[in-house]
Amino acid sequence: MNSVKPFAQHIVPVLGAAGCSQGPTETLVGSLKTTHPRPLSERTLKSAPLAGGGLLLAACGGGSSESGTNPAQALTDVEVVRFLNQAGFSASAESIAAVKASGLANWLDSQLALPVQDVSRYDWMVANGYAIEANRSNFTGADNAIWHKLMSSSDQVRQRMTLALSEIFVVSMQGLPIEWRGLCVAHYADLLEKNAFGTYRQLLQEVTLSVGMGSYLNMLGNRKEDPFTGRVPDENYAREVMQLFSIGLVQLGSDGTPRLSNGQTIDSYSAQDISQLASVFTGWERDRVDAADYAHVTRPMKHNVANFQPGDKTVLGTTIAGSQTGPQALSLALDILANHPNTGPFIGRQLIQRFTMSHPSAAYVGRVAAVFNNNGRGVRGDLKATLRAVLLDPEARATPSGNASGRLREPVHRFVQWGRSFGITSTTGRWAIGDTSDPASRLGQSPWRSPSVFNFFRPGYVPPGKELAANLITAPEFQLLNESTVAGYLNFMQSVIGNGLSSGDVTANYAHELSLAADPPKLLAHLNLRLAADAIHPTTLSELSTAVATINASNAAGQLNRVKAAILLVMAAPEYLIQK
Amino acid sequence: MKLNRLPELQRREFLRRSAQLGLAGMTAPWALNLAAMGEAAAADARGGYKALVCVFLAGGNDNGRTLLPIDVAGHANLASLRGGTTDLGGLVAPRASLAATSLSPRVPLTGSGVDGTQLAMAAELSPLKPLFDAGQLGWLLNVGTLMEPITKAQYLAKSVPLPPKLFSHNDQQSFWQSSGVEGSTKGWGGAIGDLFLSSNAASTFTCINASGNAVFLMGDQAVQYQVSNSGAVPVNAVVSNLFGSAACSQALNNLITAPRTHWMEAELNRVALRSINAQVTVKAALGNANALPFSTAFDTTQSLGRQLQMVARLIAGRSTLGAQRQVFFVSIGGFDNHDFLLTQHPGLLSQLAQGLSAFQSAMTELGLSENVTTFTASDFGRTLTSNGDGSDHGWGSHHLIMGGAVRGQRFWGKMPLLANNGPNDVGQGRLIPTSSVDQMAATLAKWMGVSPTEVTTLFPNINRFDQSDLGFFNT
Repeated sequence: MNSVKPFAQHIVPVLGAAGCSQGPTETLVGSLKTTHPRPLSERTLKSAPLAGGGLLLAACGGGSSESGTNPAQALTDVEVVRFLNQAGFSASAESIAAVKASGLANWLDSQLALPVQDVSRYDWMVANGYAIEANRSNFTGADNAIWHKLMSSSDQVRQRMTLALSEIFVVSMQGLPIEWRGLCVAHYADLLEKNAFGTYRQLLQEVTLSVGMGSYLNMLGNRKEDPFTGRVPDENYAREVMQLFSIGLVQLGSDGTPRLSNGQTIDSYSAQDISQLASVFTGWERDRVDAADYAHVTRPMKHNVANFQPGDKTVLGTTIAGSQTGPQALSLALDILANHPNTGPFIGRQLIQRFTMSHPSAAYVGRVAAVFNNNGRGVRGDLKATLRAVLLDPEARATPSGNASGRLREPVHRFVQWGRSFGITSTTGRWAIGDTSDPASRLGQSPWRSPSVFNFFRPGYVPPGKELAANLITAPEFQLLNESTVAGYLNFMQSVIGNGLSSGDVTANYAHELSLAADPPKLLAHLNLRLAADAIHPTTLSELSTAVATINASNAAGQLNRVKAAILLVMAAPEYLIQK
Repeated sequence: MKLNRLPELQRREFLRRSAQLGLAGMTAPWALNLAAMGEAAAADARGGYKALVCVFLAGGNDNGRTLLPIDVAGHANLASLRGGTTDLGGLVAPRASLAATSLSPRVPLTGSGVDGTQLAMAAELSPLKPLFDAGQLGWLLNVGTLMEPITKAQYLAKSVPLPPKLFSHNDQQSFWQSSGVEGSTKGWGGAIGDLFLSSNAASTFTCINASGNAVFLMGDQAVQYQVSNSGAVPVNAVVSNLFGSAACSQALNNLITAPRTHWMEAELNRVALRSINAQVTVKAALGNANALPFSTAFDTTQSLGRQLQMVARLIAGRSTLGAQRQVFFVSIGGFDNHDFLLTQHPGLLSQLAQGLSAFQSAMTELGLSENVTTFTASDFGRTLTSNGDGSDHGWGSHHLIMGGAVRGQRFWGKMPLLANNGPNDVGQGRLIPTSSVDQMAATLAKWMGVSPTEVTTLFPNINRFDQSDLGFFNT
C-alpha cells in the first residue's frame, strides 16, 4: 500500500476557533485545535444596550460589560500599553497617563472624534516642491509624504486605520502608470485617511471614483462594448471590488463563516455579475484641464456618457435600469455591494486581523459585523463604530491565551513603533526614509507599495508546515516571513537603531533610555513594557539584561551601546514580534 | 507500493531508514505507513542530479499574444477576435512581424478545425527560437486547472466538478501550485520534494525559492528555503558582535532560535534558525560572486535575470548543498494586463526569453543541460477578446517546457479552436483547458524519478485523464 500523501487538500480555512477563554462562563470556550467551527446555534450571543449610548458587545460566555469603559476601574500599565499598541503604533508616558485617566473607551472615543490632523500628504508634497514637471512620471516625494505622516502625525488611531485601509483597498506605487503618479498616490492615502472614521459606503464611492484606483484597476478609460471590433468592457475593477473590497468570493454567515451547500462553499457572484458590473463601470475619465494640471489627481473621475454602456444591468440579482445615468448606475451598484450581508463580516474580520489578532473566533467577527450592520443608531457601515467594536471587544481585551493568540506584527508597524517610541525627527523635514521593500536589506514591506492588489499578505493565508497548518490558523503576516526577511529585518533595525536613516537626517532620541543605562534590568523592563506590553518572560528578560550589562557603560558611548543593544534585543524577541 | 517492487537501491535505503527509525526486525515493513516515516518514502533518485525550475508568471499571462496562429486563416480569425492587428488598433501582431518566430514542429498540428494551423511565438520570444529548433523546448497547449476533463456542455450544465474560484488571481495561483485555493498549505513542488528528502544530504536545500513565499514548494516535511538575489542574508548581529558585545550577540542568537510553545513564535524561530544555519552553507556553495562558475551573462538589471542567475549558481554549488534532487521557484509579476497589453507585455516576454535563454546556456556550460528542466506557469490564461487595450481573466493557456532532457520542437496537448463563445471557450475566449495542470505536473514528477504509483497518489485526479504522461521527455 502506498501511503504517500496527495498534495491536494481542497481546504476551506476554518474561520474562528481561537481565543475566548476568559469569560466567566465557558459557553464559548473553543479548543484551539478545533478544526470545525461549531454551528452558530451552539454559541451564546447576547447583546444589550449600553448605558451611555454606545453598544454593549456581549463577551465570550456572555455577561461581561464592554471592557475598559469605566474610568474608575483601575487599569494596569500593561493593559494600557497593550491597548495603545493595538489601537495605534506606540505608547508614551503621556498616552499611558491619558488612557489611565479616562479609561480605554473614553480615550478611544476622543481619538475617534479628532478631525484629520496636520497637513495632507498631497499638500505637503506641493509645499515641499515635489509637484514639478520632472516628477510627472515618477514617485519622487510620495514615500517622504507617507513616512512624514506615519512617523509624526499626532492622530495615531487614524493613522493606524489609514494604513489598515491601504491594505484592503490597495493602490500601490508598484503599478500606477499614470501622470503625476506620486501626487496621485499621496492623495489616495489622504482619501483613505479622510474616510477612515466615516461610512463604508462613502469610502467605497471615493475609492471607486479616485484617479488612483481608476488607474490601478483600470476603470479609468473603461468604455462600452464595440460590436464592430469585439471590444467588451474591462472587468478588472468589477471583479476586484467584489472579491477584495466588499463581499468576497463566497457567501458568508453573519459571523464570517462560509455558508455551505452539500458541504461546498457557495459563490457570492457569477461571471455574469462581473460582466454586468463591468458595464456599469464604463464611461469614467480624468477631470483635468490639460497635461500640466496635476491637481486633477485630487478630483473624482468624471463621467462621459458617450462611453457608457447602454441598457439594463443586473448585478447580484438587482436590475439597474438602462434609464439610469452612469453616475446613478454606479451609485446603485455600490449600494448593492455596501448592503450585501457579506460586507460586514468580510470587512470586519480583516479589520480585526489588522488591529488585534490573526485568527479571531467567529463570535468576535459576528459581534464586529453586527456593529458594522448597525451602529446602534441605524447607520450601516459606520467605520468609527466598527473600529471601536474591534478594539473594545472582550476577546481583544481579554488576557491573551492559547498557542494561536495574537498576530505577527507587520514589519512597517515595528518600524513605525520604533520611530514613535524614540521620538525620531527629520532635521531637514524631508523624511527621506524611502522605499523599504527590499527583503534582504530593509523591511520587505513598504507602505503603499504592495506587489499587487492582493496586498502584502492574504487574510486567508495559513503558514504551511507545522502547527499553524495542522490547525488551519490564518496568520496573514507570515506570508512576508522567510529566511531572507527574518535576517533583513534584524539588519535593518540594527542599522536604524544605531545610525538613524538618510545619512543621519532621521534620528532617534534615546535620552530617557540613557538615563536607565546604568541599570540594565530597569532598562530592559522599561523597553519590555513600552514595546511589548511586558510580553517577554522574566527569565528571558533577565538573560537579556545580563548580556546588556556586559557592555562597559563607564563612558557615553558604552551607555549608548547598552541602549541600542537592548532595543534591538527586545524588537527581535518572538514574544515582541507576536503581538498578543 | 509493495516493497518487493522497489528497485534494490531503494530497498536498501528503505531498510536503512527503517533501522534509523528503530523499526528493524519488523516482519512486514511494507505494511508501514511510508509517509509517516517521512524521508523513508524515497522515490528513485538514481541517474544523477535532477532539478525542476518553475518560472511563475504572476498576474495571468496573455496566451493570445504569447503563442498564436500565423497561418492566414488562423491569424485572421484571431485578429477578428482581438480588435484587429496592432497597426489597426487591435491586439494582434501583424503576420509579417511574426515570421522570424514562426515555429516548425516535428509533428504538425492536426485535428478538426486545427489542420493547417501554424503557430508563432511573440517576436520578443525570439531568444527561445533556437532552443525550440534544437529540440530543447516545446509548448504544452491550452493547459489549465481541472478536476477532470470537461466539455462546454458539461461546464454549462455544471455536471462536472470544476476547480473552485476560477478566474480569481490568488486562488488560481494557489490552485496551479497546490490544487487548493488561498489557505492551501501543500504544493506539488513540495510534495515531490518530500519524496527526495532522503536523497539529499541536507534536506533544507531540496526546495528553494528565489522569489518570495509560494505554496508550490511546501510539502509535508519539505519546507521552502528562501534565498535572496544576493544569496543567503546573514544576521549581522549573529555573525558579529552586537553594538560591540559578544554576549548580546549570543543572547540574540538564543532568543531567536530557541524552540517555543506558542505556534506563531515557534514558526518564527524555526525560520530564523534555518536562516542562520543555512547561511554558511549557501555562502560556500555560491562562492565568489565575481568569479561565477559559468560565463553566460544574465541581465541582472531585471528581476527574473537575477533570480535565474541565483538558481544557476545554486545548481553549480549543488554538491556543497548536498543535493541530488531539487525543486526551484522563481517568478515575475506584471502580467495582469487589463490595460496597456501592448506596452507592458512585450517587455515582460522579453525579460522571460532572455532569462530562460541565459539559464539554459548556463546549464549547458555546467554540463547539466539534461539534468535540469524548466517550465512556465501562471494564474490563468486571458480572454481572447479585447477590452480595448488589454484582456481579462481567462482559464487555459500555453506553457513551455525547456531543457536538454526535453523531447522538444513539439507541441503537446491539443490546440483549441479560437473563438468567442465557440466550442472550446466559456465566453470571451476563456479557453476550457484541454490538458490539466495535474497531467503536466505528473509528467514532470515522473521525469524526476517519482514512480507511477506515487504519481497516482500525489495527483489523485490523474486517472480521470487519458494520459498521465504528456510526453515531454525522451524515454
